[in-house]
Amino acid sequence: MQTLSLKKLFNFEKTPLNVVMAVTTVALLAAFMAGAVAYILHGHHVYNVTRQHPWGLLIAMYVFFVVSSTGLCIISSIGHVFGIPEFQQIGKRAIAGAIITISSGFAVIGLEIGHPMTMLIYNVLTPGLTSAIWWMGTLYGLYLTFICLEFFFLAIKVNHTFSKLFGICGLLVGLAAHSNLGAVFGFLVSRPSANGVFYPVYFILSAMITGCYLIFLMYGFRYKMNFPEKVSVMLVKLSKILGMLLAVLIFFEAWKIITALYGDMPERAETILHAVKHPNFWFGELILGMLIPFTIILLSNAKAIKATVYASISGMVGIFFMRYDLVHDTLLYPMTTLKRSEYQVAPTFVEYFPSAAEFAIGFGGIGLALFLYYVADKVFNLDETTQH
Amino acid sequence: MARYGMALNYKNCINCRACESACKEENGVLLLPDHYRIWVGVKEAEGQFPNISIASQTYHPSQCQHCDNAPCQQVCPTNATYYGEGGMVMVDPTKCILCTYCINACPYDARYVDNRTNTVDKCTFCSDTRLANGETTTACQATCPTKVRVFGDLDDPNSEISLLLANKEYRQVKEHLGTKPKLFYIL
Repeated sequence: MQTLSLKKLFNFEKTPLNVVMAVTTVALLAAFMAGAVAYILHGHHVYNVTRQHPWGLLIAMYVFFVVSSTGLCIISSIGHVFGIPEFQQIGKRAIAGAIITISSGFAVIGLEIGHPMTMLIYNVLTPGLTSAIWWMGTLYGLYLTFICLEFFFLAIKVNHTFSKLFGICGLLVGLAAHSNLGAVFGFLVSRPSANGVFYPVYFILSAMITGCYLIFLMYGFRYKMNFPEKVSVMLVKLSKILGMLLAVLIFFEAWKIITALYGDMPERAETILHAVKHPNFWFGELILGMLIPFTIILLSNAKAIKATVYASISGMVGIFFMRYDLVHDTLLYPMTTLKRSEYQVAPTFVEYFPSAAEFAIGFGGIGLALFLYYVADKVFNLDETTQH
Repeated sequence: MARYGMALNYKNCINCRACESACKEENGVLLLPDHYRIWVGVKEAEGQFPNISIASQTYHPSQCQHCDNAPCQQVCPTNATYYGEGGMVMVDPTKCILCTYCINACPYDARYVDNRTNTVDKCTFCSDTRLANGETTTACQATCPTKVRVFGDLDDPNSEISLLLANKEYRQVKEHLGTKPKLFYIL
């Protein structure tokens, strides 16, 4: 850990990329603040969520952040929990990223939950043990504690035994928390398109893919594409893992869609058909999130790590669409299909588009994550140290 | 212990919406979009002009089904949604964190966010506004000009609703989900 003055903290090399990143970070942070102020002043009225579509972009962004966090934790564990030597170098950076992304996720969800303080009190006093949200929230709180301790023993008071111990705890609790997040959707008996075992399993898989994308992006930015040999070797191996995970994801998704459409089951088939025909799915999720990165990895035999860094940008945009569609597609089908007044059209698929405040807070959360990462990179040495 | 439910002779409904007005008046439901505890669904007439089946146009009064196995209760992280006296599904606004998971989980679109308390609200079978004062009917039932609604104790074999359900065929909404709803549509 380094002691820094404020002047040193905000002093960085003025390369075009760094300046673009700084301006983007400040703009997104400002958007987050503006959105937060609008929410504090006007409450949920500044969001476009309705009775028929009660969850929106902020829930999607919360899922986006916690998926990122769990993914980074899982990928980092390859090195310092499972002991694969090439991956030990990513431990500190990945765990710092995991802490930062989940903190950003909590900041976003804090502005979506109507009464966060009541939640802290009654989560303890009257816990809803049959609620996937209770388990998810409680386990994520525990997970954050474990990964903070893991980072403490990785980067501040180096102790490999403790860091490994808390790493294992963080990994196990993180996996449990994350699959419970999948269960938040999977347990919805009222939503046939989401109900079932798919999401709790798929969440772990997509978290690992998100973790890989983020490692590529963090290392691409860290080394400005001039990777040292040791890093190159790690990234090639990571690229192979990513390729395999993407293949499994494509396989999973294909069977999810075929199963949903097969037999034309009421509600489920038409919801999924509507969802897959939307550009959010075929362009956002499929092309950006899966096919572009997978094709690059496949064609280069996982060796084109620079191209994979760029593909990871496409991949993360795709991951965003996966999270957005997860929420929106779950809520697509109206729960009552009868019209409520004589002069209205009978309800069809529920429509939703995020409000300016939702965009500001949701994407502003990315600014928060970028800012915290910048600070963490300045304050702590996130590269591998000799003691480690 | 009583177990309250409601039978609906929905074919008698004339879509006058007196029930919606009475509910809002009795329970202080705000006159805002999305703020309604009960509603009348309109099923449009089938067929093409001039062969339109007038009999196929029906009205379906609806509200919280006060399920015996309520998905909204199961998913609530703070047990703000609970089974109250008489098996009614209730919300304790002091515990509600407004995560709106219950609104997602309800298969009947029966819940909404109340603007005043900023918590989730729903039909209570007028338990705090009428039943607590010794009334035996709900506001929607009392005001209905065609006597669509019959509210009462399902566990009392001599109650009007029990006798009605014993002698008439009825259907329930989305009962395949295992929610065990307590609204019965008399056929």
